Amino acid sequence: MSAEALAPIPDVRREARNAERRRLLLWLGPPAAWFAVFMLLPHLSLLYVSLGHMDYVDFVPGFSAANYVKIFTVEPYLGVTFKSFNNGLMTAVLASLIAYPLALWMAFGVSSARARALVSVLVILPWLASYMVKAYAWKTILGTQGVVNSLLVSAGVVAEPLETLMYSRFAVILTLTYIFTPFCVISIYAQLERIPPSLIEAARNLGATDLEILRRIVLPISIPGVFAGAVIVFSLAFSDFITSTLVGGPSDLMISSIMINLFGVSMDRPLASAIGFLMLALAAVLLVTMQWVEKRVQVRF
Amino acid sequence: MSLELSGLVKSFRGPHGTQRAVDGVDLVIPRGEFVSMIGSSGCGKTTTLRLIAGLETPDSGSIVHEGREITHVPAARRGLRMMFQDYALFPHMTVGENVAFGLRVRAQRGRHSAAEIDRLVDEHLELVHLPGVRNRRPNELSGGQRQRVALARALVTRPDVLLFDEPLGALDAGLRRAMQFELKRLHAELGKTFIYVTHDQEEALAISDRIAVMHEGRVLQYAPPDEIYFQPTTRYVARFVGSTNLLDGELAGRDGALGAVRLRNGTVVRGLVATGLPDTKVSAMIRADRIDLVAEGPSAMLSGRVRERLFLGTHDEFQVDVDGLDVDLTVHMSRRRDASVAPGVGARVGLRWAEEDVRVLSD
Repeated sequence: MSAEALAPIPDVRREARNAERRRLLLWLGPPAAWFAVFMLLPHLSLLYVSLGHMDYVDFVPGFSAANYVKIFTVEPYLGVTFKSFNNGLMTAVLASLIAYPLALWMAFGVSSARARALVSVLVILPWLASYMVKAYAWKTILGTQGVVNSLLVSAGVVAEPLETLMYSRFAVILTLTYIFTPFCVISIYAQLERIPPSLIEAARNLGATDLEILRRIVLPISIPGVFAGAVIVFSLAFSDFITSTLVGGPSDLMISSIMINLFGVSMDRPLASAIGFLMLALAAVLLVTMQWVEKRVQVRF
Repeated sequence: MSLELSGLVKSFRGPHGTQRAVDGVDLVIPRGEFVSMIGSSGCGKTTTLRLIAGLETPDSGSIVHEGREITHVPAARRGLRMMFQDYALFPHMTVGENVAFGLRVRAQRGRHSAAEIDRLVDEHLELVHLPGVRNRRPNELSGGQRQRVALARALVTRPDVLLFDEPLGALDAGLRRAMQFELKRLHAELGKTFIYVTHDQEEALAISDRIAVMHEGRVLQYAPPDEIYFQPTTRYVARFVGSTNLLDGELAGRDGALGAVRLRNGTVVRGLVATGLPDTKVSAMIRADRIDLVAEGPSAMLSGRVRERLFLGTHDEFQVDVDGLDVDLTVHMSRRRDASVAPGVGARVGLRWAEEDVRVLSD
């Protein structure tokens, strides 16, 4: 057979490859476009605005890091960012601590499938209520005329209603924890559910006590779920501003509140953008790190 | 000394009300024996095993091990080790850590030094022919290797009794065979009691000293494999174990150990009567490999027409449509070198067997 006769074959292959590529583009096009328009562009514009400055009420584009320098040198920005970070961290830790026993009970303590479904619904149910309603609910519980204070006063534990319950950091973290704990429960439960019952039976059969089974089998296998849940809760709590506005005191402003004020009241959009961009970057770093950690501790069956 | 189960009952609440998974099981398992429990799914064999292991609590009845009542002793303190169908290896631990688990639990703390644990782990991995995998993870091993790790993990704590819950169920046929020999070897080598649950009757026949055939939560027959195979006491056992023909009829008479069954076509089949046979409604049981195909005539006990013939390697299987009966008889015949000697499909044949190969059974 001559070389000429063989020549068309590579063309056919290339054709097929091109067709494959076109089909891929067709499928990937819409999500890629969505991502570009609604994710990439806004973030780039955020970065762009954060590098400029304001001339009274007019935005002047530029290429200066002044806003970032300001965040790190002029109070209250850095301090409040740290405080918000702390609040987020505390919320994540508390939510994980509350969620773990609950998820444990759901996975191993509830024997019938119907009861388990019911408990799952009960965990998720608060999410059907509006965020604001839930935050307000804590107002009625913790306020000076609230349930807790009325009880304490009528029981004679305190003479006057406690002011510190409400409009305090305590109230902010309590409310945030209440609102975000379900994320942790679901995330941990998903991991616990993967553990085959035979693993626990095998450990018991080999002489392990319940506590040993928890520490040496259940906890190591489910720890990625704890991390995953904690990261979600941290990200949400760190950037939260509604709860701190509703139940926090004047000194409990979170960095997001400040950012909103800069946008709306002070009209300093570049500085607000810089804060927003830093928060995004922080969250991204955190997510990537946790993803790496999760991959390291993830158990493959 | 032995493991004794008496009057064990266990019910589960299911979608169709309460069901008795185990309904009065009595078994005496002599020390050092290899005992299999077989039966179709839902017969209660696995539940019985789990009751012995302490993973379930019986509603009533008792379990006595070496003279000690262990019915309500927690699983962790029974000293019986169980092998799970899915191996149940701890996925986050290395093979070495898996095997050492039973030596490192709090109940064992202080009894073994770190060096001793190391030595025991290596020794037992060697025992199951799996040296040099200590630092691997279970998910890096094949099914057969995981099986061996699970075995080493169970053996390292030196239990008197090993419980197996369909341990070879997930392996392919070749590996299954190899593991059967392996288990048999280990049993002979270690002298421990093995209690083995399987739905595979061939496997049970091959490896057990004694077989308990279970059905609907009860033990129907508990005997050595050859007795289960050749002298089943009930129709169910006969049908469950091996390839069997059951010819229904009425008890026409009996003379000591011999009984006569009148089949629906009038033929009288004589055979050995199973112990405690009361009924008039009985069946004559003949194993497929105990029937000869002969020419039609007075020497044949039944006659019929070959409806199907399958070549199965070691033998041919014939389905013979018997005259006057609405059942097909299954006949196994060793393959002749010259296959044309054996009757083909459609051929008229006579069927013959020896009286001592017939068992007369009832339900």
